[in-house]
Amino acid sequence: MSRERLAELLDAAVKLELATIPPYLCALYSLQPEHNREASLVLRSVVVEEMLHMVLAANVLNAIGGRPSVAGPENAPRFPHELPDGVVLDLLPFSPRALDAFLCVENPQYRAASSADPSAGTPTQPPTSRSGPHPSVALNVTAGPTTIGAFYDEIIDLLEAVTRDVGEAALFCGDPGRQITGELYYAGGGAPVVVTDLVSATVALREVIDQGEGEISSPYDADGDLAHYYRFEQLKHDRAYLRSDRMGTPTGPPVGVDFAAVYPMIPNPRPADLADPELIAAAERADRLWSRVLLQIDAAFDGSPATLVDAVQTMFRLRDAMLVLLANPLPGSTGLHAGPTFDWAPPEPSAATGTRARP
Amino acid sequence: MEPGVVMDSAADADVVVVGAGVAGSLVAKRLTRAGLHVLLLEAGPATAWSFDGYGAHLDAFYGADAKGPESPWAPAVGVPQPDTADLRGDDGYFVQAGPLKYASTYTRLQGGSTLHWLGVSLRMLPEDFRMRSRYGVGRDWPLQYSDLEPYYRQAEYEIGVAADVADQTYLGVEFAPGYEYPMQRVPPSWSDSVLAGAVDGMPVTLGEREYRLKVRSYPAARNSTPREGYRPVGAVDEGPDGQRLARDLGQRCAGNTACTPICPIQAKYNAGKTLAQAERTNLHVVPQAVASRILVDPLTGQVTGVQYQHYDDPSSPRHRVRTARARAYVLAAHAVENVKLMLMSQLADGSGLLGRTLMDHPSLYGWGLAPGPVGAFRGPLSTSGIDDLRGGAFRARHAAFRVDIGNDGWRANTGAPDTTVAEAVSAHGLYGPELRRHLSTVLPRQVRFSLNVEQLPSLDNRVSIDARAVDRLGNPRPVIHYAIDEYTLAGMAEARRVYQEIFRRAGIEDRTNPDEGSWFPAVTYHGDVLHYHGMGHFAGTHVMGSDPSASVVDVDQRCWEHRNLFLVGSGSFPTMGTSNPTLTMAALALRTSDRLVTELCA
Repeated sequence: MSRERLAELLDAAVKLELATIPPYLCALYSLQPEHNREASLVLRSVVVEEMLHMVLAANVLNAIGGRPSVAGPENAPRFPHELPDGVVLDLLPFSPRALDAFLCVENPQYRAASSADPSAGTPTQPPTSRSGPHPSVALNVTAGPTTIGAFYDEIIDLLEAVTRDVGEAALFCGDPGRQITGELYYAGGGAPVVVTDLVSATVALREVIDQGEGEISSPYDADGDLAHYYRFEQLKHDRAYLRSDRMGTPTGPPVGVDFAAVYPMIPNPRPADLADPELIAAAERADRLWSRVLLQIDAAFDGSPATLVDAVQTMFRLRDAMLVLLANPLPGSTGLHAGPTFDWAPPEPSAATGTRARP
Repeated sequence: MEPGVVMDSAADADVVVVGAGVAGSLVAKRLTRAGLHVLLLEAGPATAWSFDGYGAHLDAFYGADAKGPESPWAPAVGVPQPDTADLRGDDGYFVQAGPLKYASTYTRLQGGSTLHWLGVSLRMLPEDFRMRSRYGVGRDWPLQYSDLEPYYRQAEYEIGVAADVADQTYLGVEFAPGYEYPMQRVPPSWSDSVLAGAVDGMPVTLGEREYRLKVRSYPAARNSTPREGYRPVGAVDEGPDGQRLARDLGQRCAGNTACTPICPIQAKYNAGKTLAQAERTNLHVVPQAVASRILVDPLTGQVTGVQYQHYDDPSSPRHRVRTARARAYVLAAHAVENVKLMLMSQLADGSGLLGRTLMDHPSLYGWGLAPGPVGAFRGPLSTSGIDDLRGGAFRARHAAFRVDIGNDGWRANTGAPDTTVAEAVSAHGLYGPELRRHLSTVLPRQVRFSLNVEQLPSLDNRVSIDARAVDRLGNPRPVIHYAIDEYTLAGMAEARRVYQEIFRRAGIEDRTNPDEGSWFPAVTYHGDVLHYHGMGHFAGTHVMGSDPSASVVDVDQRCWEHRNLFLVGSGSFPTMGTSNPTLTMAALALRTSDRLVTELCA
């Protein structure tokens, strides 16, 4: 029960949320233009929300004087990536299999079935990877498999305990200038909470859990919008929910899912899969841009919050680099397309500073 | 209440509003939120109001060979609209009676021309309201800048304008103490900063006076970083099942460089956003309902109803005629359509001014190649302008103008980048790496200025109707008489001289050549041929004033001859200055709404 343990858990939370982003981006950008509009909307909406969760966890960590780290080979996520709840995040194109994984990710009470726990979750999918998954930092810092909800509950309990122990002012000693504020966050999925004390820290972390849990228990929000979890279900069944429907069985009209109008990206692309020098160069470019995004986010979390705006610009360039890969078939394969590896690749030195690159 | 059920005695609503563009939507939002029942008749389909419908317009744009301003926005067959592509021929919606062609267009769909506007949201200058007393030209407004200032503030929040007061305080424009725009200015483009380096502080002489130029960010109706407490309004999706799936799209401009003809993410304002914020229990929108006649009690002059043609199939002229009745009527159908409807109903022509004093901002393009890359084809179509010549003593002799600085290379004036590629291939025989090298050298250096020139009210410029020229519903098409007078031509010539000076100073190689650019109509001035394009800034057709014999509507936009009838929009402007009319039109619509609420809720 200590500040160090808290910092360890919160840093793991930041990395956990970060790791969900590349799988969503692969699914989103694998959609061919002018098809799957609903899928495109819900995927974009969810990935933006995951970015918010990462920012919220980072704000809490900064508030207690910690230092969130997302850059460098030791901090960047590697794929396939295993979360503490047993979900394995693969880099997949938009597909029924990707949707099944997203439904697990969006459910904070989910736990993968195992021989020890036959009651939980859906059956585990056969692995898509040729090597075993890389364990999440969060998996390493928890005592054993746990749900994401329980993982965050532990953090909140610990925040309360340490506050009782050392006093609120002593725990929340971070520099307020390190907080990511509402005007810097790119919108969608809510707004960041500036964390200065136990109440705001709890609000921030509850937001992370509630955006998942609240969605499961009450499918419609105050505006009448359907929660992400159920929008994924609509995609899985290609049926819209009607107001009268029982959750789990939408019976409305099709929502326009076309799994064929998708670039068939090779699962978990590796440089060795790409074969062609031009594709390898394109993948390196995507890796460098992804790494630059991470460096910029890292700088934003380390005292230069405004650098987050630069990260947004780099993400547009990452999108363009990913599309080059996704639109190209792999030579010699049976119709599979290239895709990003999301490997760490140190960007050119000038890019690491986070200053705006001008044409 | 069912749409269009004919009721002979009972009113359908408190207010019938004709037209779901920016003015009509603002009126509908404000009245319904005050508890008044509004029946809103929209001539076009409501497709842009649902996300799927908007997406279909986007697909139409992607699929169009020519990406003109109207390419995503095809009208229903019974509701034709002017189209830039029709200008060159003589078979468009307008009957162009000459001597010059009126070069502007508008959109007859729910959302109106805000569906493809650029989003420039300038206030008019204080001196713009007093052209007659200040410079002895044009006419004065029946209200002053200070009267409208509170409504400008409201309009900037309703529309969602991104700007910094510090940039916009010039030429007498003042803001209420402590006021800030709802969002920070859209970041200036790289090209803006390159040009500012060359232009800021540069002197130019107009008349006997010297003016200093500055590249200035303009207020834009595009979502940017919000200020305290403001939430940017993203994409609209009104569906019958109540799901609004698109809401977290478009809350920030993403620099898609397609404000015109269609913002792909709806980060730019369109009138559907305002309508979506109306009090829905008090609002009944009837799209595909073309107002065709205003019914008036011959004894009192009071309007008793609006007849409209309702069609089910946008690809067919089949329709049924219905009547809508209310206590008050607001025509917000557009400066031309308002007049057309009044003329069709043979109303309000006592002053002889109905349809007269049609204005626009006849505009010139100047284009060139910068000495180095300026990042063309990135960001919103434009983010800055040169606004220092919007006002000044020279206005006694010639028109004022503003300069819009493009971020879109030569797209608007030549059809680049496609035409740049075509020219490189067919005229220079380039291909492969050489072609790529050529394009990456030329395209990022393309600079485009648009010089928007003030036009004063002239009785000869007018909208009329001719029973012989009708559309598929049997409604008359607008007949446009249009000329550009000496005052404006002299301003156009000065604008051209100024842009050439700026190009020289900035080292930009002038490549302006209307013969090689897109086709635009031309006018001759002192032996020079000036090719002009329209800005879509229609104004002046039902002018407001304080004298019933010299105006069509009063300061509240209430028709002098029919006291429960209001004509709102830029048609009410006595003069237009150099600002894009939308913000002023919005401010006036909000002011009129307040009058209506006061009267009808009493």
